[in-house]
Amino acid sequence: MSSGAASAYWRVAGMSYLKYSNLCADMVRAALKEPAKSAALKRETIFFRGTKWAEGKPGETVLTDFTEHIGSK
Amino acid sequence: MALRNLSTVMRGPLGLQQAGLLAPASACAAQTVGAPHLSKGGPSTQVRNASQLETQQKMKSVGNIMKITKAMKMVAAARMKGAQRKVEACRGMVDPSIKLFGDNPLVEGKSVTVPITSDKGLCGGVNSQVNRVVKALQDVRADGAEAPRLCIVGDKGRSVLTRGMPESVDFVADQATKQAVTFATASAIAEEILKTDSAASRIVFNKFKSAIAFQPTVATVPSPETIESKPELVEKFDEYELEGPDRSEFLTDLQEFNLASTIYWGMLENGCSEQASRVQAMENSSKNAEEMLSALTIKYNKTRQAGITTELIEIISGAVALEG
Repeated sequence: MSSGAASAYWRVAGMSYLKYSNLCADMVRAALKEPAKSAALKRETIFFRGTKWAEGKPGETVLTDFTEHIGSK
Repeated sequence: MALRNLSTVMRGPLGLQQAGLLAPASACAAQTVGAPHLSKGGPSTQVRNASQLETQQKMKSVGNIMKITKAMKMVAAARMKGAQRKVEACRGMVDPSIKLFGDNPLVEGKSVTVPITSDKGLCGGVNSQVNRVVKALQDVRADGAEAPRLCIVGDKGRSVLTRGMPESVDFVADQATKQAVTFATASAIAEEILKTDSAASRIVFNKFKSAIAFQPTVATVPSPETIESKPELVEKFDEYELEGPDRSEFLTDLQEFNLASTIYWGMLENGCSEQASRVQAMENSSKNAEEMLSALTIKYNKTRQAGITTELIEIISGAVALEG
């Protein structure tokens, strides 16, 4: 990853482009009015179960679930 | 004289028997009581009934399986339509970068393979296709080169590939298809893949062609360093005027977006192929169940008819013996 004085401020803050752009997308969605808002919020969900593997052995499984928090919004 | 007697006997226990599908026990009982010397026929009748009962149970379960596979086919067909619409919309996301850089499957250095598979089974050969391609990719490499790392998406790839080559696996993401696949999910998975810090990521999935055809596809996303090491790619990129950061940072951003959108695209394509393949697989199994059911029905009717004929003969010979 490149860094330095010319880097964008969000990269200096330790964010990746994907985090930054998804966050921007979330902000745009939050600015929408109903009924477009609730339809767009469905596209904000993240759901998967991730397991890191090292030397042929699975590590701890982490469930990434950002669906509940969308529903309660 | 004998003929008249025969007809009266026939009207007796046999009339009863024809009323039901299975020979009722009362008919057998009447027979044994009425003609004790024919008691040998008793056990054989019971055996026949048991085998008929078994056939009947088989017919029932085959019929139920057929109902289930038909329902699954309908569900898969409906889901495929929705998935197809999404895939077609998503192709626009990846086309520009493919047009810009083209496909560069040959990349030197460390690479990561990302097989995209389904979470559920009963969908024909979709997953074994991907797994086969991945195995070939692991084997085809220059002498002394490191084997590509593996970041697996989907449960079916996980079960096969972690058993076959556990030491190559870095990361496994599954259950992502439990919800509708979103770009945010694909981004989160892409971030995990970026952590492997590879010169290229190869995403393996089944590209949806039509309801009856899909093709295993490998999409390569090169790292920014790889692009900068190839003058012809840099030249293509420099045709565009850029605002903001310098080229290397721009390429870093572009690679991240490319990886996430390619994974998103792969997940959608593979999901659509999975449903299409499931439609076919379920159609085949419904057809097989139907064939099995008709074979069983014929068998059932034949045994029933044979039983009736045997009993007729027994009754006739019994009557004749009494006459004798």
